[in-house]
Amino acid sequence: MLRESSRTHEESVDFAAVMDGDVESGVPHGAALVQFAEAVVAGSAADCEAARQALANTMGAEALVDAAGVISNFERMVRVADATGISIGPMSEEDLVLVRELGIDRFSA
Amino acid sequence: MTTISYSDSRYSIRPDFAEVHNRFWERLARPGAWWTGAERVAIAREARAAPGCALCRAAKAALSPAGVTGHHERVSDLPEAAVEAVHRIVTDAARLTRSWYRRRLDSGLTDGHYVEIVGIVAALASVDSFCRAMGLPLRPLPEPVAGMPSGYRPARLATDEGWVPMVPSENAGTPEADLWHSGRTDNVIRAMSLVPDAVRTLKDLSAVHNLANANVRKAGVNRSGALTRSQTELLAGRVSALNQCYY
Repeated sequence: MLRESSRTHEESVDFAAVMDGDVESGVPHGAALVQFAEAVVAGSAADCEAARQALANTMGAEALVDAAGVISNFERMVRVADATGISIGPMSEEDLVLVRELGIDRFSA
Repeated sequence: MTTISYSDSRYSIRPDFAEVHNRFWERLARPGAWWTGAERVAIAREARAAPGCALCRAAKAALSPAGVTGHHERVSDLPEAAVEAVHRIVTDAARLTRSWYRRRLDSGLTDGHYVEIVGIVAALASVDSFCRAMGLPLRPLPEPVAGMPSGYRPARLATDEGWVPMVPSENAGTPEADLWHSGRTDNVIRAMSLVPDAVRTLKDLSAVHNLANANVRKAGVNRSGALTRSQTELLAGRVSALNQCYY
């Protein structure tokens, strides 16, 4: 959906940022958002605090709360998908190329 | 009834977060389709204990979790098969396999019991992860409500797109017609439909945390003015990758 969103809004996005947090995505404030996501999912409490303050300082409290909501939404969705073994369904050739290029295919389906 | 409030946050949190989390707390405390209220709250307690379980940490660190044996550090009287399911979904969901799932059934869980566990663990992950993100302590779990599980099982089920039986995508005219627009849904929404209330909870949470499910595939739709859709999708993609989730 990042690809579809960037097309709809005519934004230039490097999708490799999804797999590698050090890649500059091109999404405004993308680095602060990715840092926050990484801290919440896998970081320490101190990492979370630093990332939270950085995001609040750059984007404001409303964006911070919305970002917390989105991150915690997908902490739920990944567990639903992984624990039920659902298939992703048919993918276009373009989708398959992107999956290979980004290395998503190293994750088990 | 334990009520969730975020008034202790140093940031102003939209009231709909506390409202939707309270709705989940109320459902969590009541009997479900396959577990009592006490068992459902016990599942939540196990989910919170799993990251500190030595067996889970050893399994997570191992090349293959199947090679690690022992007993979980449990905090409930739930059956061992349920404890294993809860702990693994919390700590190592990306490496779950169909054969692992089948062993849970061979160990005494029914598919309904299993899917209800998935629903509780996943919904709790949203509430607890939100607290972690906002720098807040975990909210106390609700007090269980007495009563027996309903045993409800949808009449029409298919095993076409996953390990677990699911309501067919075409659901018009069934008691599950409210779960999605007939014929138009993603498998991740159908995934828990063996326990329809788990999908209702998922929809409720998603609409506040992210987007109403009907809008997820509409790339031009945004939930709020604070984040663009691309910022939202970057977060979604990065969280999925960090969890090594192919889907």
